[in-house]
Amino acid sequence: MNSFVQGDPLLCIGCRTCMIACVVAHEGKRIFEIDPDGYDFHPKLKVVKTWLVSVPVQCKHCENPACQAVCQVGAISRIDGAVIVDQTKCIGCKSCVDACPFGAVRMAPLGFETNPDGSRRAVANKCDLCTGLDGGPACKRVCPTNALRLVERENIDEILTYKRAESLKTAAATISPSITV
Amino acid sequence: MSNGVHEIEDAALLFVFGYNGADSHPIVARRIVRAKQKGAKIICCDPRRIETARIADMHLQLRNGSNLALVNSLAHVIIEEGLTDDKFIEEHSTGFEEFKELVKNYSPEAVAERTQISPQEIRQAARMYATSGRSMILYGMGVCQFAQAVNVVKGLANLAIMTGNFGRWGVGIGPVRGQNNVQGACDMGALPNAYPGYQNVTVPEIQQKFEKAWGVPLSNKVGIPLTQVPHYVLHEPEEKKIRAYYIFGEDPAQSDPDLHEVREALSKIELVIMQDIYMNKTGQFADVLLPSTGWNEHDGVFSCCDRGFQRIRKLVNPPADADVLTDWDIICRISTAMGYPMKYDNTEQIWNEVISLCPSFIGATYEKLEKYVNIQWPCRSTDMSDKGTSFLHKDGKFANPDGKARFSSIDWQPPVELENNEYPLILSTCREVGHYSVRTMSGNCRLLRNLEDEPGWVQMNPELCEELGVKHGELVKVLSKRGSCIARCLPTDRVKKQAVYMTYQWWIGACNELTNAVLDPISNTPEYKYCACRVDKIEDQQWAEKYVLDEYAKIRENMGISEQPKGGKAA
Repeated sequence: MNSFVQGDPLLCIGCRTCMIACVVAHEGKRIFEIDPDGYDFHPKLKVVKTWLVSVPVQCKHCENPACQAVCQVGAISRIDGAVIVDQTKCIGCKSCVDACPFGAVRMAPLGFETNPDGSRRAVANKCDLCTGLDGGPACKRVCPTNALRLVERENIDEILTYKRAESLKTAAATISPSITV
Repeated sequence: MSNGVHEIEDAALLFVFGYNGADSHPIVARRIVRAKQKGAKIICCDPRRIETARIADMHLQLRNGSNLALVNSLAHVIIEEGLTDDKFIEEHSTGFEEFKELVKNYSPEAVAERTQISPQEIRQAARMYATSGRSMILYGMGVCQFAQAVNVVKGLANLAIMTGNFGRWGVGIGPVRGQNNVQGACDMGALPNAYPGYQNVTVPEIQQKFEKAWGVPLSNKVGIPLTQVPHYVLHEPEEKKIRAYYIFGEDPAQSDPDLHEVREALSKIELVIMQDIYMNKTGQFADVLLPSTGWNEHDGVFSCCDRGFQRIRKLVNPPADADVLTDWDIICRISTAMGYPMKYDNTEQIWNEVISLCPSFIGATYEKLEKYVNIQWPCRSTDMSDKGTSFLHKDGKFANPDGKARFSSIDWQPPVELENNEYPLILSTCREVGHYSVRTMSGNCRLLRNLEDEPGWVQMNPELCEELGVKHGELVKVLSKRGSCIARCLPTDRVKKQAVYMTYQWWIGACNELTNAVLDPISNTPEYKYCACRVDKIEDQQWAEKYVLDEYAKIRENMGISEQPKGGKAA
């Protein structure tokens, strides 16, 4: 089963440190040394703020990914528990952007590569769980309130166990308030 | 703060009033989140749906500028419902009878319209605050940046006194200060009326003590507050005029209200000296620039908002070709050049002098700062066992001659410049998390600049945007009777339709072109949180986008920054 990073809106304070960490993780430390115009700032996650919620939105690493299904050139694949875009293969058709029900894929320039007409080459850009980078997902590591966690198979079981117990409490309370589960 | 920041986690109830921790101080916001996890109830009073409001048990989304009406009404309910701590009031306070009379006029029904909060909600909030057993108040600039500011603080203190929420762990009242080390600036006497340690300049014994220590005669007159500088330059008679202005770590041409007036004042002063780490708006008016080291290039002591002294240590050397000095070295050299030789070898020597002259700091030695990391004043003994004071007013003892807390009976007063036909909206200035203060520092951090750059945003309710026909990211013109600026429209239902919000660090979207320079009579803090404004749609967006880029380039050129800006794009 694929893992994914999940944010807890009750802990998130909307500070967007995760977005910066994402860029730094993927650019590497050279980001602090090169010319400020020598890199692009395209985080692979986005903090969304609504009336009720502040939380980063990023790829769920679906088991049957719609993005993968619509990709005409096979640029999206499942590798070691993550859904990964091969940006060099991507032709920039945006079908995955369209197909993703979570708004987790967006277009971003591929380095400073250009199209034949001189415009920047845009490709699909989304969370890759920092695959291949030291220390696991950078967003999770830097969050000042620990609002992000990497959910793996065993965590899903934990979550389900907890939810089942909680729902029993509610059910019991509905039948008789005196019952404690 | 009367209590330590670390105590926030242990409050049973947090009453957060006009304080947006998540945007101003993420590290303090973390404590609020943790308090919630540990079971604390949270009441958030703020006209915006800030992050704290989201996780709060109650959000009182009060009307801008109605602070004291709400605070007095909460007191009204606490008295009416018999929720006062009568023993505490009796033993540790004065003035309650008069206060009781005053708040009679502030029933929840009487203030409902003014505050836009229903009487039921006011009652419920008052009950929660008064009965939690351990209620802590946190307030911020939403209280302080009004013409009626200090009196609202007193109003909040009334709530804490009448419910006995002082002098214990996890209670009290916490002004979470606006800026990093602003507490330190005040602690060190960067105030017009005090020597270090809040020792009044008008008291002869104190004057003598400092004269003896420093070997020079000193003035016993209270000085001029920062926010009155423009007035003293532009409107006072010749003999009272300010002629020279030495500014360090401050950017009044960006941060002060009514920038037009500030610029006029800076142009007319005979001599402006600026000491800072990077060029900024004020630097453009400076006759002399003194480049100093940044926060990570020197040693020193900071004060946290909860009176905690902490050492900061040099992490890196300034670049070899930078030709910068530490702030204290520059001050020593200036002083010496002006005829008062001043020499220290390191910050510990300076610190030892400070604490030797301040009875409430004397125990906060470098040795203890090293060992215990954080020492909160008062720390009156150099003995290692005195680790400072986490919370003030223990056993109900207050810093008045009679040792008692005083109730303040003060009526609500409306903000000074109200909305009108020409300017129908409220402008309130605020902060955003990525940029600190005027961004002299954070604006030069490439990644933070990537996150947000010129010209900045104006937060508007979606209904208002629809009425004006403006969309997300579109450039709009924001105007008040003092000036105008251009910013991007940010539709958000987190703000009400009657008010718009702008952060004050942008050079192009400079909201202080619009703000009103009216001051609180006691603190001299301007009414940044309220003035009348209007938002106009800009038909020619292409022109506006170009204007933003051109202006940005022009300002940078003026400051001698050669590197081309990347900003100006909609995020």
